[in-house]
Amino acid sequence: MVKGGGIHMGEKEDQKSCTESDVLDNALVMIAKLEEKGRVISWNHAAETITGYSRREVVGTNTIWKKLYPNKGYRMMVTGRIADILKTNNYFENLETTIHTRSGESRTLLWNTKIIQERGMKRAIAVGMDITAEQEATSFRDSIIENANVLIAVLDPKGTIEVWNKAAEIITGYSADEVIGRKDIWKKLYPDTTYRHSLTQKISEVISLHNSFENIETTIQTKNGEQRILSWNTQQIGNNGVYHEIAIGRDITEQRRAEEALVAYMTEMTMRLKQPVGIVSNALLESAQLVKEGILNQDEIITILKSQSRNTAQIEANIQEFQKAIVEKNRSIPEAYQKFLEG
Amino acid sequence: MPEYIEPQELEQKKIFLILASPGTIRQRNTDIIKEISGLGYHTIIITTNFPYSVLTKMYTQNEIPLDHVSFIDAVTRNSVGSAENIPGVVRFINNPANLTDMGIAVTEVLKEESGKKVCIMYDSVSTMLIYLSSENISKFIHFVTNKLRLMDVSGVFLAVEKGLDPLLMSQLTTFVDNVIDTG
Repeated sequence: MVKGGGIHMGEKEDQKSCTESDVLDNALVMIAKLEEKGRVISWNHAAETITGYSRREVVGTNTIWKKLYPNKGYRMMVTGRIADILKTNNYFENLETTIHTRSGESRTLLWNTKIIQERGMKRAIAVGMDITAEQEATSFRDSIIENANVLIAVLDPKGTIEVWNKAAEIITGYSADEVIGRKDIWKKLYPDTTYRHSLTQKISEVISLHNSFENIETTIQTKNGEQRILSWNTQQIGNNGVYHEIAIGRDITEQRRAEEALVAYMTEMTMRLKQPVGIVSNALLESAQLVKEGILNQDEIITILKSQSRNTAQIEANIQEFQKAIVEKNRSIPEAYQKFLEG
Repeated sequence: MPEYIEPQELEQKKIFLILASPGTIRQRNTDIIKEISGLGYHTIIITTNFPYSVLTKMYTQNEIPLDHVSFIDAVTRNSVGSAENIPGVVRFINNPANLTDMGIAVTEVLKEESGKKVCIMYDSVSTMLIYLSSENISKFIHFVTNKLRLMDVSGVFLAVEKGLDPLLMSQLTTFVDNVIDTG
């Protein structure tokens, strides 16, 4: 409605109200304008999308709230909370509720309201932000941390533990309740003062250079007094100058024990093969010398040869036993080597 | 002048671990028995590598009086199947891995030779590794050394040098009084 390049007052009003309406309608958050008794005056596009209820079904009634909160107990609880808030304020902020959509889905909304006066009438503008996806993502992240099979601890800038996951509880024996909000877990895990101090010094040196450390191995003492070897990695997280430390500890006790057992086994194998082979070799050489000197008779030569033959047969059996044992003891040996060892 | 074992240490009924290279261990056996015999001791040789009949020839060659030695032979029966014990000379056991039989044989031979100045020579720890784990060898040597101390008898354990793993070596070291590396 542009005449002569200008805009008439009526047109201005129309344009203004059209712009407000557009903004409300196209907002990415659910916006509802309500009368005092909860009757809906306006219901934007996002509200339709989130709840599944169209403007036509909602505007002019207050029945939508029963639909969104079909569980009477829950609805009463929400209503009660809103009433409580409104006793002291004429608005509320970040009230989290779960609605039931038309399709039967549950969605979490974060509500903020504002009371306005419109043509002398009191109106409430309710803005509901759908945080379902964000909440699911947070919950998923929490679940990953909680259920990771590595110890995860998050420390605030003062060193107070903020996160202590399930694996941390299992590995150390200390529950989250005993650890979160405190700083003394490290004294419990490293009760030996000398060891703790040397470790602290080592970690401080590494952190001063790199702000984090990787694969530092330490031996902790669990709540029940057991020793366990952990490989630690840390990382600083955060922003705006406030940094948290995330410490990830992988329990490598069994791996280390298996490695030690393997090394012990291989040492034993080397000893039990190298020495006997040398002994058989020398026995045969000495016997050859005795034969050459004419000292041994035929029976004695046969006895020696048979005994050394038995020795070599036993050595062969030992090799096979060792091959089998090594493969069984360490399944982490690459497949190609396992095949070789299995003969 | 004794080359390997001091007479007073034998008198004190000490127990020795004597180490030798693979090429000299047989000769060391003979040298030590010659020394011990020269000091008036009767040596009971537990042999796990050479049959007693061959050892007697070696000893004869080295002028060791055979009435100063007797044998527990773990080789002959294992190789040829049967052999009769000769009282006061040789007692056969079926298999070097049969530590029960070997333990019984040691106990009985020590009883037979009671009253004499006796020394036991175990030849060798290294050969036993063919048949037994180091853990079992260690247990057996612990048993034998305890028996020797209870019966107030000296003992010599022969082993190939640098061939025993550090754990077994440290265990054997705690069981004996002296470790002599003869090279």
